Amino acid sequence: MQNAIVGGILASVACGVVGSYVVVKRIGYLAGGIAHSVLGGMGIAYYLGRPPIEGALVAALVFAVILGWVSLKMQEQEDTVIGALWAGGMAVGILFISQTPGYNVDLMSFLFGNILMISSDDLLWIAGLDTLILLIVFLFYKQFLALSFDEEFARLRGIPVERFYLLFLSLVALTVVILIQIVGLILVIALLTLPAAVSGLYVRSLNLMMLLATVLGVFFTTGGLALSYQPDLPPGPTIILLAGAFYLVSMVVTRFWKRA
Amino acid sequence: MSSVIKIKNLDFSYGGPKILENIDLDIQRNEFIGMVGPNGSGKTTLLKIIMGVLTPDKGSVNVLGNPPSQSVQEIGYMPQFTPFSRDFPISVEETVLMGRLGKTSSIGFYNSADKLAAEKAMNDVEILDLRKRVIGSLSGGQLQRVLIARALTCEPQIMILDEPTANVDMKVEKDIFDLLKQLNEKITIIVVTHDIGFISQYIDRVACINRTLICHPTSELTGETIENMYGAHMHMVHHHHEDEKNNHE
Repeated sequence: MQNAIVGGILASVACGVVGSYVVVKRIGYLAGGIAHSVLGGMGIAYYLGRPPIEGALVAALVFAVILGWVSLKMQEQEDTVIGALWAGGMAVGILFISQTPGYNVDLMSFLFGNILMISSDDLLWIAGLDTLILLIVFLFYKQFLALSFDEEFARLRGIPVERFYLLFLSLVALTVVILIQIVGLILVIALLTLPAAVSGLYVRSLNLMMLLATVLGVFFTTGGLALSYQPDLPPGPTIILLAGAFYLVSMVVTRFWKRA
Repeated sequence: MSSVIKIKNLDFSYGGPKILENIDLDIQRNEFIGMVGPNGSGKTTLLKIIMGVLTPDKGSVNVLGNPPSQSVQEIGYMPQFTPFSRDFPISVEETVLMGRLGKTSSIGFYNSADKLAAEKAMNDVEILDLRKRVIGSLSGGQLQRVLIARALTCEPQIMILDEPTANVDMKVEKDIFDLLKQLNEKITIIVVTHDIGFISQYIDRVACINRTLICHPTSELTGETIENMYGAHMHMVHHHHEDEKNNHE
């Protein structure tokens, strides 16, 4: 239980910071493609008897670069190609899992995660990835901001836009790997975008948006855990539903607020 | 007077028919050039070549004595369309600071010199009191000023503005050109516009583009030539460069 709470807090940092960029740059679909295709890497790692997180990490980074390249070079067919890689990655994962000898792994825990099963090793992984993400964002905050705000202008100011875009998608990939530990890969995209989306309704600057999204992430993960504990519900979906409900209420409230 | 932009014998195509043909252009320091031409005539293409985004098929381009890609950081650019969404969570000051990219250090946050340059630019275009406002809350005219300030913050030697007054009313248009005229004392300015009648009191020369390019000193502009130059009747404009006459069909 203690690991679960710490895991939720650590994951919220990455999801608040990177999720805010994903929301303002509007690349939720691309991030979804990265998240789902990761199952391929997890399946292969499982087949080879390695920890699934290692496979997830490799697959997430590889798919981030492929999908980034696709979205830069083949803009007309971007959504088709993302869709194909999305489903293809998952299919590879399921095939490898099905061919793995021994007792059958709980596929559900890959897909929907289990925050209660987080080990101390997992926590170390998450903390390490958090540090890496924060460091990169700290170094290149202004480039990432310019890139998400006005790509053409950034290019004219001599920013190597393509390179930063791929670096940014790699951060998305790392974040996805962290969040899979919490809610599993099906629900990742909701936890990546909902705290930032709620936060974006209330604050009007990117750094505040990141801060509030992180706080909200902590609230959603610990709140979801608490709610699921007594009736013995799976925590992942409870966390997501809590976040989703909060988003809906926030949208309604801010609409009325603006009108009033 | 020294030349800041020198284009010789330039051709460009996007793989198909020529968009620009046989372009010669020599812009002197502190000139104020108006660029006109119908939609699709190659104005924005020519600007992109000057800024090194596109490479010509033929001919030479020289900006501040160097190839365009090396000089692009000395150019302040204001785009025709604002490609960003108006509800992006960003303040006026943060937007203006973006002009410092390429001049400031590549890692970490903006430093105090950047903040000073941004403050000066915001002061020059009279939006210093809006600095903390979110861009989504600005009027069209205010946003144009923010974009001019962003172009100014890099302390450019050349400013290129692609239809800076497309979405504002007459009063704001006059304010903006008065401001540009003031900036022109130190900076060479190229401005793309459709309203050539209005800006003729500000500019030194008009560059007419429709695949080929002809320059007219503003002293030659009369009501009739302005009318004719615009749209399909460009060939009727009288101009004094004998050798360029053939290109101006």
